[in-house]
Amino acid sequence: MYNTLIRNILRFIVLLVVQVLVFDNLGFGTYIHPYVYVLFVLLLPFDTPRWRLLIYGFLLGIAVDIFNGTPGLNAAATVFLAFMRPYIIGITTRKSDIEDKNAPSVTEMGLQWFAIYALLLILLHNLVLFWLEAFSIKLLGLILAETLLSAPVTLLLIIIIIYIFKPVKK
Amino acid sequence: MYNLFIFIRKYNAVILFILLEVLCIVMIVQSLPYQSRKMANVSNSITGGVHKTTSNWHDYLHLKSENEALSEHNALLLKRLGCEEVEADAEYYDDIFTYIPARVVNNNIYEMNNYIVIDKGSIDGIEPDMGVICDKGVVGKVVNVSKHYASVMSMLNSYSIISCRFVDNQYVANVVWDNKNYRYGLVKDIPSHIVIKAGDTLVTSGFSNSFPADVMVGTIAEKGDADENMFSTAKLKFSTNFSTLRHVYVVKNNFKSEIDSLCITH
Repeated sequence: MYNTLIRNILRFIVLLVVQVLVFDNLGFGTYIHPYVYVLFVLLLPFDTPRWRLLIYGFLLGIAVDIFNGTPGLNAAATVFLAFMRPYIIGITTRKSDIEDKNAPSVTEMGLQWFAIYALLLILLHNLVLFWLEAFSIKLLGLILAETLLSAPVTLLLIIIIIYIFKPVKK
Repeated sequence: MYNLFIFIRKYNAVILFILLEVLCIVMIVQSLPYQSRKMANVSNSITGGVHKTTSNWHDYLHLKSENEALSEHNALLLKRLGCEEVEADAEYYDDIFTYIPARVVNNNIYEMNNYIVIDKGSIDGIEPDMGVICDKGVVGKVVNVSKHYASVMSMLNSYSIISCRFVDNQYVANVVWDNKNYRYGLVKDIPSHIVIKAGDTLVTSGFSNSFPADVMVGTIAEKGDADENMFSTAKLKFSTNFSTLRHVYVVKNNFKSEIDSLCITH
C-alpha cells in the first residue's frame, strides 16, 4: 500500500521535472510538442476511483501550468484525459481481462494493448490542449496537424521512458 | 432531496469533471489578455529560481559562443564611440533611455504565445510595458514583474504589435507574428502605394514609449499582396534570433510618466 503510494508520488515528481526541464525546452519544431507527463495518469491502478483520477490529473496539469505560465491549459487537457480513461479502458478490454490485473502497464497488459490505449488518450489530451491554446475553430488545420504529429512522438517517448525505468526482474 | 443525493452520488465523477473543467476554462480566459497574467507573478517567483539554475548550466555550456557574441557587440560599441560625428540631438536623446542589462532564464519559441523570463525584477527598476532589446534587435515588452524576475512578451506572441518604420522611405507599419516560424514575422498595414522589395530594413519607429527609435527589427523576406483596404502585408525576417537569446537589455524611458500624462490630457 505505502509502496504504491511512494512510487506514485515519485512518478509524479519525476515526470513533472522531466516535462518542465527537458521536454518543454527541446525544440522539436513548430508542430511537435510532446507532453510525456500524462504517463502518470495513464499508469494509475485500475481500481483508482474516478474522482481521484480527476483530482490527480488536475494537480499534475496545474503543476505543469505553473512552470509554463499557462494557467489552466494543461490542467484542462489532463482532467479531460483522466475523465476519458475509464471509457477508453472499457472499449479496449473486456471486464474479465482486467479482473486480476493491477494497473494498465506494459508489463501487465502487453505493449500492443498499452500502445493503443495510450495513443487514444494522448490524442484526446493533445486535441483539447491545442484547441484551448488556439481558442478558435479557424486554426483547425493547425490544431489537427499539431495533434496528429505530437501524439505519436509523445507515445514513442513514453514507451522509451517506460523501458528506461522498467524494474529489473529478480 | 433524497433523489438529489442519489443523483450526486451516481454522477459524482461527471459533476467533479465539469467543475474542474469550468475552473480551468475560467483560469485560461482570465489569463488571456496578457496584462492580467496574475498567475505569472506568483509562478515567476516560484519557478524563476528553478529556471535560473538550469539556465546557469546552459550558460556554462555556451560560454564560448556567448563570449564571441559579447566581444562582437563590444567592438561595435567601441566603433560607435570612436565616431567623431555626433548628431546634434544625440546627447539629449541618450538621457531619455536607460538600458538595464538582464539575462534570459527561460525562453519559449514554439508556443502560440511565447514569453521570456529574465532575471531582473522590480528591485532592479523593471516595470511593465518597458521594451526589451538585444544586440541584434528588438525582443519584446515586459508584461509582468515580480521582485527578482520579469516576464517578457516576446515578438513571437499573437498579442505582440511593434510599431516600425522603413529605413528607406520613413513609412510606418506594424509588425506582428503569425504563429508559424520563430525566424519570421509579418509586417501589416503597409500603404499599398509604397514600393517595398525584399531586403528592405525595418527599425522601430520611436512612437511608442517603450523603444528608442532606430532599433533594428528585421528585413523584408517576401512581398505580400494588397488587401481590399489598400494595405499590403509582407513577410519579415527578424534580426533577433529568438532561439539563441541569452543577454538582453531592458529599455527604461526616463520620461515615460511625463509623456503618459500628456497623452491622458488629450
